[in-house]
Amino acid sequence: MELLEVKTVRESNYKVPDGKLLKVKLLITSEKIAEVKVLGDFFLHPEDTILKIEKELIGLSRDETSIAESIDRILKESEATLVGATAADIAKTIMMAWDLD
Amino acid sequence: MEEFRFIDLEVHNAFENMAIDEAIMLSMKEGKAPPTLRLYRWNPSAVSIGTFQGMNDEVAVDFCDSKGINYIRRITGGGAVFHDYEGEVTYSIIMPKGHKLAPADILESYKLLCGGIVRALDYLDIKSEFKPINDVNAGGKKVSGNAMTRRHGCMLQHGTVLLDLDVNLMFTILKVPQEKISDKMIADVKERVTSIRDILDRDVSIEELRDAMRQGFSDALDIDLIEGGLSPEERETATRLAKEKYSSQEWNFSR
Repeated sequence: MELLEVKTVRESNYKVPDGKLLKVKLLITSEKIAEVKVLGDFFLHPEDTILKIEKELIGLSRDETSIAESIDRILKESEATLVGATAADIAKTIMMAWDLD
Repeated sequence: MEEFRFIDLEVHNAFENMAIDEAIMLSMKEGKAPPTLRLYRWNPSAVSIGTFQGMNDEVAVDFCDSKGINYIRRITGGGAVFHDYEGEVTYSIIMPKGHKLAPADILESYKLLCGGIVRALDYLDIKSEFKPINDVNAGGKKVSGNAMTRRHGCMLQHGTVLLDLDVNLMFTILKVPQEKISDKMIADVKERVTSIRDILDRDVSIEELRDAMRQGFSDALDIDLIEGGLSPEERETATRLAKEKYSSQEWNFSR
């Protein structure tokens, strides 16, 4: 019988002090990000930058600094403005989901 | 004084309302629409969610279906808003990128445009202030929420001004785990959110708020509001967007 890896979506919420609420839905396979969604009531201009960020994070390992750096890089490349949260806040929320179980 | 087209208080469903906002942007991008301020209400009542929010995370969809309440994803960020037909007026203001009332800095932009709401509330004898990032507060409580986007070569900001507030209904529509809906939580929201009728303790009409908003934006932004309507082209685009985008499951449940 084939071994099936159990995939559960891990969810975390983080209210940024003086900022907005971040919600992360995270799927991990083989200790790497398989899928991630960054939700919440923050602002990001242009808005479709969120899809680039979510794509860029796939395959990353559990390292808060490199996750934050990846997000920052996409923001800079896209000349995007994130309001109500920072790249570090998103990375922190991802780590909170990662460490859930 | 600079002229803005003014589309006076209209009533539409959620899909039409969001489609009209985007249709105006698309027309403006082509140089075919002037800077515009519109006022509108939502019938049926509806809940709109921010563009980055999950529909099923935020909205009690089944409850809304059972009550005929619409639910829709906006093109702007920010949070979920309940647009009660009897309890709020929504505005949108749209201008080309680079307009003097559309500074590059996002917070500065919110502050400038929310000045229209602060002035409108002044007309109703309510003292209020811009509360970063995107709120207007009266007596320390939120009375207006606002959200902006920059796309299609334009800047759009839309927002709601609360005339009335039914916290219990709001909690039923917005997804809050049942066990969390305690008296304390309802009390907490009443500490943070208010409405014009709560503040003034009288039955302020929709029309009175409409007049105050028109005057408030005109004064605060120093613009002349010229009554107008959508062009046939904008109307056509709006009809298409309402049908193909804003009422689609694909858009509303994309996150």
